[in-house]
Amino acid sequence: MPLTVPVDDLKRKANQLRRQVLEMSYAHGGHISTCYSYVEILVALYYGGILRHDPQRPEWAERDRFLLSKGHGETLLFAALADMGYFPAEWCDTAYRGGECRLGGHVDHKIPGIETTSGALGHGLGLGCGMAWAAGRAGHGHHHYVLMGDAECSEGSVWEAALFAARHNLGNLVAIVDRNRIGSLDFTENYIALEPFADKWRAFGWEVREVIDGHDFHQLTQALTAKRPADRPLMVIAHTVKGKGVAAFENDPTWHVRAVTADLIDQARAELRGESR
Amino acid sequence: MNAAATDFSTVDMRDAFFLRLYDIARQDPAVVLLSNDFGAPSLDRFRADLAGQFVNAAISEQNMISMAAGMAMAGRKPVVYSIASFLTLRALEQVKVDICVMGAKVMLVGVGCGYAYSVDGPTHHATEDIAIMRALSGMAVWSPSESPVAGAMADLIHDLPGPAYLRFDRGRWPSLGELDLERGLRVLGSGDDVVIVATGIMTHRALAVAEALRQSGTACRVVDLVRLSPPARSELAAALAAAGRVVTIEEQAAPGGLGGLVAEFMADEGLLRPLLRLAIDPAKVFAYGERDRLHRDRGLDLDGAVTRIGAWMGR
Repeated sequence: MPLTVPVDDLKRKANQLRRQVLEMSYAHGGHISTCYSYVEILVALYYGGILRHDPQRPEWAERDRFLLSKGHGETLLFAALADMGYFPAEWCDTAYRGGECRLGGHVDHKIPGIETTSGALGHGLGLGCGMAWAAGRAGHGHHHYVLMGDAECSEGSVWEAALFAARHNLGNLVAIVDRNRIGSLDFTENYIALEPFADKWRAFGWEVREVIDGHDFHQLTQALTAKRPADRPLMVIAHTVKGKGVAAFENDPTWHVRAVTADLIDQARAELRGESR
Repeated sequence: MNAAATDFSTVDMRDAFFLRLYDIARQDPAVVLLSNDFGAPSLDRFRADLAGQFVNAAISEQNMISMAAGMAMAGRKPVVYSIASFLTLRALEQVKVDICVMGAKVMLVGVGCGYAYSVDGPTHHATEDIAIMRALSGMAVWSPSESPVAGAMADLIHDLPGPAYLRFDRGRWPSLGELDLERGLRVLGSGDDVVIVATGIMTHRALAVAEALRQSGTACRVVDLVRLSPPARSELAAALAAAGRVVTIEEQAAPGGLGGLVAEFMADEGLLRPLLRLAIDPAKVFAYGERDRLHRDRGLDLDGAVTRIGAWMGR
């Protein structure tokens, strides 16, 4: 489907969330480049009219499920869920603090709007398979979107789930890989052969779509919503830039886990202000 | 707890469980059985008649556990069946994160406790599963000593309060009498010189040891600890307090097993008694062989246990 929301609105939302993630990360540290990598994916899903959801009813049975399998991208999801009204914005102000904290360093199922606890990688697709299998059997119409990192796809359990989903015709399952080509330590292809990545998923029986620019709302929306076979799971490989939005964070493996320091914060703020103009 | 009308005393533990689960699943379409490409003759009827409630999850234990958790979150009542060693070790992180952290109401059924898969060797032996599973927060651990109780446990799926791990032995094990599953333990005999705590089929061994000791003048009672975690505190404390000495016997590597459980329990309860842990010497865990022989070489057979207890008591 074409965009149902003006693209400028989505861009403004993306910028707003990047700025909020910056401030939350400045206070705490964490995985800022991981978050920046999938801002447009998240905004397209939640703000672009793709996900059927209701912040006032996090447990609504017919909601689409979004599973953040790369659970270290929590800062962005927290910011977005608070922005949409799943929980008070003040929760983000106290994230990562206060002794035993409500919003911690990975996504947790107890937080309104978050389906599953994550942080250990390679779990989301299997959880999504179980949910999708059960929903399909029960005749429910909702969909399951599982967002994984590309380096996460080194986990064997991802491919176990891939085998199952294809065999069981889980057409209500959509996996999205944030293909920023960087793991925790290095560029993925420097240490493991993920490529030819799309071909691998095709060989496993999935409908595969590549998004050349994973920060382009038109491309993302097209890939996520274009008509597809009802009996096959969909894999959307979104080619992204890790750290997208602030030059200092972009395409640099050292930013996987790193605190935004005082000498960088003003520059980052200025860049993000510029983007929003 | 409805122990069903079927006479389970003449069937294998897992068959008793599956026979009962079949009846339950016919009535309750939410029940789903997942297996890692692992069967049992008693499963054939389930697979044939309830195909929509059976998932062969393939030799993919990690994905099987994640999927079961996802199914539970989607309102299903998943029962996951596998050889115990694969269930508890291969997919342990999935068990912790996807089931325990999220409180998913999943029933894990592992067969082949201890050295049950005798000559198949260490890959198939579940000689650490008690230590592993009882360490997981929220995980109920059940270890029945007989087929009828194993069958009755299928009824736990009706109203599972949280995650559960059921460890079944192989073979037919006759009833040892009444058991209140709410309590999850029973005391057999009434001697007060020694209380022997056992679980699973080693309870049968404990009863034989108790009888031998009785003949030599030592009065014993046996605790069949069916729910290892959480144990029924007051009942276990009362049983331990009633005797002067405590022996545990198990077919597990010693660290963290039943003996460890009882030692922790006594320390926490301030119930200090001389304690002898009969378990597998950690240096001798990995082996291939007939089960009786493996027991004998590790002092867990009848004669070995009686001798070790006698020596410990200074007789």
